Amino acid sequence: MRQHDDTEDMSRDETLERVVQELRRPLRVNASLFDARVMDEVMRAPSGVGGRFESLLRPRTFRVSPLIALAAGMLFAVSIAGSILYVLPSRSRGAPSARGAQSEVARAVSGSPIVEFGFVAPHASSVALVGDFNNWDPKATPLRAASTGGVWSVEVPIQPGRHLYAFVVDGTVWRPDPAAPQATGEDFGEPNSALTVADPGMR
Amino acid sequence: MVDAGVSPVVELSDAALVDIVLRGESEAYARLVARYRDRYARFALHMLGNREDAEEALQDAFVRGYRSLHRCGDPARFGSWLLAILANRCRTAGGRRARREKRFVSAEDRHYAIALDHPADASAWREEIRLALSRLDANQREAFLLKHVEDMEYEQMSLVTGAGVSALKMRVKRACERMRRMLTEGEDAPAR
Repeated sequence: MRQHDDTEDMSRDETLERVVQELRRPLRVNASLFDARVMDEVMRAPSGVGGRFESLLRPRTFRVSPLIALAAGMLFAVSIAGSILYVLPSRSRGAPSARGAQSEVARAVSGSPIVEFGFVAPHASSVALVGDFNNWDPKATPLRAASTGGVWSVEVPIQPGRHLYAFVVDGTVWRPDPAAPQATGEDFGEPNSALTVADPGMR
Repeated sequence: MVDAGVSPVVELSDAALVDIVLRGESEAYARLVARYRDRYARFALHMLGNREDAEEALQDAFVRGYRSLHRCGDPARFGSWLLAILANRCRTAGGRRARREKRFVSAEDRHYAIALDHPADASAWREEIRLALSRLDANQREAFLLKHVEDMEYEQMSLVTGAGVSALKMRVKRACERMRRMLTEGEDAPAR
């Protein structure tokens, strides 16, 4: 046991404390889009867990106990409020195939990193991306809805640097990205989100 | 409609959620995903070094976890069981990536950078840590992260990794020594 203790004590000097502190910094995942993708696969997954998959393909129709309905409803509400920003320069791998061709074209045209924007809004009839990169034009960059899950997304070439953006739902409702840093007061008085795109040459 | 801003949080145990999913209410799995998503994404990011691979490994782990949920022997320890799946996916993905490229990829976790007071200093330090981590042997990196970042006991780590406790202690010890050397003495291991 003593050796055990020595090992642990010796292992956490000041340098390693700083390392651990850094590595423990919370990581914020693009939650609603990530969850939607996992659950989309889960709903389609053949599994040994049983279940009524016909009904589960309509994930918003809960026929469950009140507690679970509340828990799932909360998740759903959060996902409605939430939107997801992929700040990765897209390498297309793992992306839905429907977007592949578009991103290849976009990359070839612009040479800028491709940024995938996502927004979960199952009841919206349209979602558009507005930002300083498209002159805040709600008609310029519509998002496309996935077949299930209410996930809207679009891939856009964005020049490296800091940008402000937001989503416009159903043509009227202005939504910042709660998963991204907000930049209120910098522009038009509307709550916008901030995005920093790295220069691919820096990687 | 539930209001996301004021709703009370219903905290069901892992065991209860697993049971509900196994009875066919697959929606409940979303609660488990939400519960472990961020913490395990961090583990995967540190293991694999870039966010895209990390999210892919994590998504894969969640889906595999769902598919084999009936084999989760102790639903109360769903988290550890899932982490074992994820660690395995990270090993597979890490090996694949190591063959593909020896370079340690960065720049994906820029969410970190935005809130820092001194981005330049902090970012240099982060990069040093990232490089040091990437140069550890994958087993050592895994053991180090589980022990010191995830704060797990060795017995629990043994369940997650399948390695023995004494082997894990040795991995952690060596990882710490190596990290310390790299970060204080500028040891530049020939990892590429």
